[in-house]
Amino acid sequence: MINEDRRAHTKQLFLRLRDTGDPHVRDELAQLHLPLVEYLAKRFKDRGEPLDDLIQVGSVGLLKAIDRFDLDREVEFSTYATPTIVGELKRYFRDKGWAIRVPRRLQELSLRLNKLVAQLTQDLGRAPTVPELAKAAGVSEDEVLEALESGQAYSTTSLDAPSGDDEDAPMRGDRIGEEDLRLDNLEYFASLAPLIEQLPERERTILYLRFFKGMTQSKIADHIGISQMHVSRLLTRILEFLREGMEGSADF
Amino acid sequence: MPFDLVTVTVPATANHLAVLRTAVGGFAARDQFTLDQVDDLRMAVEEAAVQLLRHSRGDRISMDVETTDNGVEVRLTGNVADDDSVIDESSFSWTILRALADAIRIESNQGETVIVLSKNRLVLDDEATGELP
Repeated sequence: MINEDRRAHTKQLFLRLRDTGDPHVRDELAQLHLPLVEYLAKRFKDRGEPLDDLIQVGSVGLLKAIDRFDLDREVEFSTYATPTIVGELKRYFRDKGWAIRVPRRLQELSLRLNKLVAQLTQDLGRAPTVPELAKAAGVSEDEVLEALESGQAYSTTSLDAPSGDDEDAPMRGDRIGEEDLRLDNLEYFASLAPLIEQLPERERTILYLRFFKGMTQSKIADHIGISQMHVSRLLTRILEFLREGMEGSADF
Repeated sequence: MPFDLVTVTVPATANHLAVLRTAVGGFAARDQFTLDQVDDLRMAVEEAAVQLLRHSRGDRISMDVETTDNGVEVRLTGNVADDDSVIDESSFSWTILRALADAIRIESNQGETVIVLSKNRLVLDDEATGELP
């Protein structure tokens, strides 16, 4: 679609959205401007986060822009939306403390701890405590705490990079059973449903298992075949994503 | 078991919630909680603090973390307009908190609202078989 047409089409859609409030029109507007989100998300792609995640974050910004846009303002929607989308992306990095540079020593310890956690969880039948981890790693409790904190702040891709190419592969179906399809409980929160739909399947499953099935992080980690620390990071991110998407709503 | 109390007060802004999260994590990690539980507490504190912040009309939020006989109790205190509405029991937030904490209640104290979360320590097997003669 050439720019001229896109602008006219956008304006039409906003008029319709204003008159009808039809969520389909909102979706169409979002779809139409997804290339803008992709373009902006790519500007942040060298910071160690998967592009898909950035597009997801940017899309939240796009939806906010759509909801706040006022046709009476004499400004193109794309001009209006750009700072909102970029703002959302910047906030994502800022909230994660991504600017923090984690010393090599802590990165290595964090990596080692990650493996120890998995091993100890297996041996003990539950997640280890910090004193147990410190003992197993031969370092002080303070060092363990420091490394765990830095692990939270650091890019998930550097410490938790998949060893193979299974990062986004479907989960092991035989271990999942039916439960990931039964999200009725989640859908009870009607205004959350559109946001939950935006989550990748794995994250939806984690959300469901932790908050509606009461499964521990270690159990979930074992269940879907990733580390406990990765589950922890994903959960934190999922909640942040939902909170931002639900800003101001009484349902959250 | 020594009884410890840590108190942290932060400005009532979103930027400072991470301080509460980190503080409670540090506290629980030193207190025989498993990593799962430490994370649960961090997430629960963040969720409760976000809700307090949303309704806050004061300029600060304070957190007391205290060891109890079987775990830890966290009290998040803020000044809000109407304490009934801080967290609705039909909200997603309440569901999250119920999954993360072992007990949760909301109290009123001299015009301030307090969200109280408790988390129980696991009874660790290796300790039960442990050191006592």
